[in-house]
Amino acid sequence: MIKDAAPAIEVRSLRKRFRVQNAAIGSLKTALLWWKKRSVREFEALKGVSFDAHPGECLAIVGRNGAGKSTLLALLAKVYRPTDGSFRVRGRLAPLLELGAGFHPDLTGVENIYFNAVVLGLTRAQVRLRLDEIIAFSELGEAIHAPVRTYSSGMTARLGFAIAVHADADVLLVDEVLSVGDFDFEQKCLRKVSEFRDQGGCILLVSHHLDTVRDFADRCLWLRAGEIVAEGTPDEILAEYLKAN
Amino acid sequence: MLAEAKELWGFRELLLSMVERELKIRYKNSVLGFLWSFIIPLVTTAVLTFVFGNFGNIGVESFSAYILAAYLPYLFFQQSVLDSAQSVLIQLPLVKKIYFPRELLPLASIIANFIHLLSGFAVFFAYLLVIWVQHPGTSPFQPTTWMIFPLLLMTVMLSTGLGLLVSALNTFYEDVKYLTSVIMYLLFFVSPITYLAEMVAYSGVNQRSGGKLFQLYNANPVAALSTAYRQYLLAPPSVKINGVAQPAVPLDPIYLWWTFFVSVVALLGGYAVFNRMKWKFVERP
Repeated sequence: MIKDAAPAIEVRSLRKRFRVQNAAIGSLKTALLWWKKRSVREFEALKGVSFDAHPGECLAIVGRNGAGKSTLLALLAKVYRPTDGSFRVRGRLAPLLELGAGFHPDLTGVENIYFNAVVLGLTRAQVRLRLDEIIAFSELGEAIHAPVRTYSSGMTARLGFAIAVHADADVLLVDEVLSVGDFDFEQKCLRKVSEFRDQGGCILLVSHHLDTVRDFADRCLWLRAGEIVAEGTPDEILAEYLKAN
Repeated sequence: MLAEAKELWGFRELLLSMVERELKIRYKNSVLGFLWSFIIPLVTTAVLTFVFGNFGNIGVESFSAYILAAYLPYLFFQQSVLDSAQSVLIQLPLVKKIYFPRELLPLASIIANFIHLLSGFAVFFAYLLVIWVQHPGTSPFQPTTWMIFPLLLMTVMLSTGLGLLVSALNTFYEDVKYLTSVIMYLLFFVSPITYLAEMVAYSGVNQRSGGKLFQLYNANPVAALSTAYRQYLLAPPSVKINGVAQPAVPLDPIYLWWTFFVSVVALLGGYAVFNRMKWKFVERP
């Protein structure tokens, strides 16, 4: 672990408030009709969270559903704009949130590799260089030239993972996706992610699989109702976390 | 807004990939593929030539060329605004996962449609060459043909501005898409696309209004552009109104400046609205 290097992720009193509307506005009619009656509730998903994550480190975040884990990752991925507070990411960040979100069913595996890798920040020339490696990692063989709509969910997940780990990011956001495909592929994914960490990459891992967290993470954050309850080694935190639940 | 426009340049690889993907998807499951983008204007030309050559003869030589000159840009305008309206909504799963400037989505729709417009104009000029071979007296190019570039620029600015506006609004209120289709349909008929602006200028209503109606008519940027494409790309038509030959009515340049002004305002305004709303797309109720 490279401790003296500048943190890969710096998060400072990060806050996210959502406005939740009771009635979903899907059309102009409902918007106009219910304008006066609409009730907007504010909901604070993150209540001022601060932490650092360093290069070569895997930081796990545990917490129950609705604790704000996914909101935190989405904020770091710049999908949401923070209500308050700030964060800084050094280097390029690639989210592995729910693999294959950007796949188009009518395009082939190869065509989807190009598009998704460019979305993750590679240029098309860089994708061309890594194409064979990505295909090999996905173990899709000849199916890579078939439309993605013909893939099983395991195949889709494998392709998504293969693209994400070959995107040359400095920071990986992993949201409950290491358990894709069969056991062998899962082991391969874990090996690949370890390799990434050993080369100085930073990983932010959100998982309900506490075993994965225990085996894999260097440090652990416990998030409850939008606040950090405790921070420490996975063994310490998980012991406390299991006791509280 | 300037910072956002600068950021776009950094994402040009992604924009290109999106355009490429859009073009691929459109004809993905068809045998002829991209050829369709030529076949559609070709068939349109053939049908128009037949219909107006035999049934609706209003005394204008090769009337179908006059229709195409206005119809192709209109088709681009309509299609790119309607495609933009859907663009963010369709890609919402991706938008919810990862950051990229959201305006790339409508922009990719517009650029893909622009490529179709260019292939349409390729067919158009090929058709002019055919007419020229048949009637050596005419000429496929006018001294003002270069005006196609500023006209295309205005058309693209107008479409982009409206496309950005409509895609932002449609992400929250899906009525906007239907409302836009209705407006597009109206614009098609209140603009000289299937007829000539001269027919409005020489109409009884316009004469009675002292020419006011025609001024109002041309204030519509789509109408002004339609007439302008015709006027700069083709020879002035010889118009017969009620059997009496009348001189062509050229478009007052003031309307072209007006259209330019409206397109710039549409582009800046549309982008401003889009930028205000884009962070809310993922929080859509």
